[in-house]
Amino acid sequence: MTEIKSNEPEPILEIENLSISFFTRLREIPAVMEFSCSMLPGEALGLVGESGCGKSTVALGIMQDLGVNGKIVNGSIKFKGQNLNEMTQAELQSIRGSQIAMIYQEPMASLNPSMKVAQQLMEVPLKHENISKSEAYDRALEVVYDVKLPDPERILDSYPHQLSGGQQQRIVIAMALMSNPSLLILDEPTTALDVTVEAAVIDLVKNLGKKYGTSMLFISHNLGLVLETCDRICVMYSGEAVETGSIGEVFNHMRHPYTEALFRSIPLPGVDKNTRPLISIPGNFPLPDERPKGCNFGPRCNYFKDGECDANDVKMFRIKGDKQHNSRCMLIDQIDWDAPPPGKADQVSNKIGEKVLEVKNLKKYYEVSANALFSGGNKKVVKANETLSFSAHESETLAIVGESGCGKSTLAKVLLGLETATSGEVNFKGSPIQNIKIEHRDTKTISNIQMIFQNPFDTLNPSTSVGRQIIRALEVFRYGNSDQERHERMLELLDLVKLPREFATRMPRQLSGGQKQRVGIARAFSGGADLVVADEPVSSLDVSVQAAVTDLLMEIQRVNKTTLLFISHDLSIVRYLSDRVMVMYLGHVVEIGTTDEVFSPPYHPYTQALISAVPIADTHVIKEHIVLEGDVPSAINPPTGCPFQTRCGWKELAGKDLCETELPSYKQISKEHQIKCHLDMKTLSSMQPVIKFS
Amino acid sequence: MELLSWGEIILKILSRLMPVWIALVVTFSFSIYFKRNLGLYGKLFDSRIGVIGFAILMFWVFTGFFAGALDWIVTSDPLSQVSGMKNKVPGTPVRGADPGDYPFFLLGGDNMARDVFTRVIYGSSLIIVIAPLATLFAFMMGITLGLPAGYYGGKLDTILSFLANLILAFPVILLFYLLVTPEIVDTGVPQFMAVVLFFFPLVFFTVLLNTRFHTTPRKRTTILFFVVGILGVLYLSVINEAGSKISIFNSVDLFNIDAGLLTVFVSVVFVNSPTTFRIVRGLTMDIKTRDYVSAAQTRGEGPWYIMLWEILPNARGPLIVDFCLRIGDTTILLGTLGFFGLGLESESPNWGATINDGRKLLSIYPHAALAPALSLLSLVLGLNLLADGLREESLRD
Repeated sequence: MTEIKSNEPEPILEIENLSISFFTRLREIPAVMEFSCSMLPGEALGLVGESGCGKSTVALGIMQDLGVNGKIVNGSIKFKGQNLNEMTQAELQSIRGSQIAMIYQEPMASLNPSMKVAQQLMEVPLKHENISKSEAYDRALEVVYDVKLPDPERILDSYPHQLSGGQQQRIVIAMALMSNPSLLILDEPTTALDVTVEAAVIDLVKNLGKKYGTSMLFISHNLGLVLETCDRICVMYSGEAVETGSIGEVFNHMRHPYTEALFRSIPLPGVDKNTRPLISIPGNFPLPDERPKGCNFGPRCNYFKDGECDANDVKMFRIKGDKQHNSRCMLIDQIDWDAPPPGKADQVSNKIGEKVLEVKNLKKYYEVSANALFSGGNKKVVKANETLSFSAHESETLAIVGESGCGKSTLAKVLLGLETATSGEVNFKGSPIQNIKIEHRDTKTISNIQMIFQNPFDTLNPSTSVGRQIIRALEVFRYGNSDQERHERMLELLDLVKLPREFATRMPRQLSGGQKQRVGIARAFSGGADLVVADEPVSSLDVSVQAAVTDLLMEIQRVNKTTLLFISHDLSIVRYLSDRVMVMYLGHVVEIGTTDEVFSPPYHPYTQALISAVPIADTHVIKEHIVLEGDVPSAINPPTGCPFQTRCGWKELAGKDLCETELPSYKQISKEHQIKCHLDMKTLSSMQPVIKFS
Repeated sequence: MELLSWGEIILKILSRLMPVWIALVVTFSFSIYFKRNLGLYGKLFDSRIGVIGFAILMFWVFTGFFAGALDWIVTSDPLSQVSGMKNKVPGTPVRGADPGDYPFFLLGGDNMARDVFTRVIYGSSLIIVIAPLATLFAFMMGITLGLPAGYYGGKLDTILSFLANLILAFPVILLFYLLVTPEIVDTGVPQFMAVVLFFFPLVFFTVLLNTRFHTTPRKRTTILFFVVGILGVLYLSVINEAGSKISIFNSVDLFNIDAGLLTVFVSVVFVNSPTTFRIVRGLTMDIKTRDYVSAAQTRGEGPWYIMLWEILPNARGPLIVDFCLRIGDTTILLGTLGFFGLGLESESPNWGATINDGRKLLSIYPHAALAPALSLLSLVLGLNLLADGLREESLRD
């Protein structure tokens, strides 16, 4: 970098003082303020921030696609030296898709469902370049081959709905690469995908970026992903870039309190719920029209200084010694950045008590008929759960890990009584409940087994006030004798989940995602639940809120001695909070054991791949790179033998025929640790840890 | 007295409508002043189309109310015939008017020498009562059947949807002709239909309140006792008529509804409910997959609580829009019925009948048919514009 200055390449994208506002019927809402950045050819820039921070708006601003309400109010966006703001629609059209391409979050929404893949891909060069159809087809074939899809001809001849989510996203990437763009914008490209699929797509994007020499603007909320894909990073908060710099600098020598707080709130390997708990960022993300004066992060910042931070708008400062590293903080030189995080008092974890739930050989099959009107034809059986056996104890957190379609939600439904078991036993506190539907369960059992739902925006009824929804749960659980008592209890529950009591009269739309999830937790615990099934309770929340909600859940568990079944695909959070882990794949439990046992070798090959797939936002971690081929098979037509054999890399070692024909039985590794695999003990114990610290 | 010029006629009509203007100005100034606190209704005032639609609708609502309830605005009696006023052009002075009477037929006289202006104004009061009420009943029936069809699905859905399609497939006018034929009225078919159709609101409210309060039995029983009691008496009064097929509840019969009106009401509810059924069914299928529905299921709520308290309130947006559109449809339907002389008495001042009366001399004296036709048009237009505005505003932030 320090060589010859004049030889510095021309930046491909230069954004200067960009401000974007949205105009609603009431007022102007600034979404992005004075955003500046530049990208060199072939460089990958990560744009990181929580939802609502304006990162997607920047991307749409570059594409000049802000809708009717949005307007660029200030600044310039220069692409290869030309100002995009001053271009006509026709000029923009010739650039969009050919020189700047964008990949969106939802693959199915980016593809036209009524056009074949080939047609959609060929459209790009046919529109932008003067080439023949056969040339375009050849190009499409080449690109589909490049995105590593099996059988490119067949894929080209199919409609989008015939492909899986991972394949669809690969097609979207292929489409973006069709005319060899110089800038690729990826807006949360893998958020809708499963972890192992995500790992494969990220791997692909990284390699393609190198191969085609494309600059990439990678938008994500996941610091780990950005670490894996990008050269430089720009952290955004509430419409402003707060810190920019190279990955190494920002990750290891962060110079903005928000970045620091963000890193302290994500569960990295090494943190533990009892000895080094996560530190959540206090307060809430400010709404665009309620931003504080001075530093936007001020009210939530630990280092906040009255009169300094809230005096004037804060400018970007250059960090001494690094010309790329900038931070928007008044106190850069005053803060001791190497100080260890303020320690929290060590929490003593509860003693794990007696068995609360025992599941023995639970099976749940669904029958689906191909045609609803003329049923009786060929019926298909979905084997959602196959012979599940496990138990859970008082005060214990048992994590259930697996990707979509592994049967974890079906298991939850059976436990809660929304479905009955096909065969097997579910004993709750000694009494069998597997065949009692919820209508026939007594109030005590119902209030004892409750659930926390995944999507905070869906978990509360939008037309009923928060207090009313909690009171309703109390009414149904026959709590108290008068409305007065229930109202009092509702307020106590709000205290329990650390929400102000005024929230009782609020409507759900007035609450943020994290607050809604807290209400969901209050509702689940309103009947004094002993067993709570938490279905990905924090996965749709922002990182800084995740820590707070997780903490809250742990705290309530400590007090109430609740058994928590924590369903998740996020292994970082699972490792952080669970006592035992159960890994599921296609309806089977492939591995079960204590958290330490599952996260260290010997692994089940699937667990190994899963651990490797989770991006970790720590530059000191060295991961073994395992990328799984293909997608999770359908539960209607599961593979013969071992469910994982179609994607397993260890098949040769165990004897291929054995894996393909025979379902493995459990191998007892230790008292708690079981692995369902054909590999012999010697091979299993020769496995190396996936994650190492350098 | 001289014949009035068109300018004078317009001025006089506008001044007759003074109470309506005042009411409109009051409504609008209050609504616009408080529009930020009024939810969707307040948002409506940001949409030009919505405001225009709402203004037209409220114009007719106020006109109908002042004329029907207070006898304001109107200039004479809708049924009385004044000799010498037959087919007179608008603005004709009334021959031999008493000092207390209004001295002009502002919109002329019809072929029976009645005041067209008065008849049109009275016609609106008839419409603004019947159309929303009939639509409301159709909605209750559609909702009570659509919710379970969408929620349970399966065989129940198949059967109910089939019945709905059956009704929709039958020509509406033919159905009306059948229903109002005297022979069929004599067999009591419309009355029996009323027994069934009007039972749905009763069921609706009972289930609604029961599911909500069943956890506190004493409160539930008290509320249900009063609500079901009042509704029950109303129900019995509506379906019972001394001397007809159903005259066993004479002791509780509080009032009588004109047999023709009842028939019209029943038929309108009958043909409107399948469309509502379909909309509610579709919305239910969509909303039942939400997490808050699962949350209600996991705390052991009954299916009807979930349908009425978790699903229905969240389906209200599209339902309100459809309600406006459907009132418009019902208005047209009522006009059509009146035009064919079905149901309501032939001399009653409903717009359809008035148009039909005027139609015969349309080429010579167009005013008698034109005034009610334009009124009908403007009311339906207003409702449709309002529905458009509501739909637009409910989607915007």
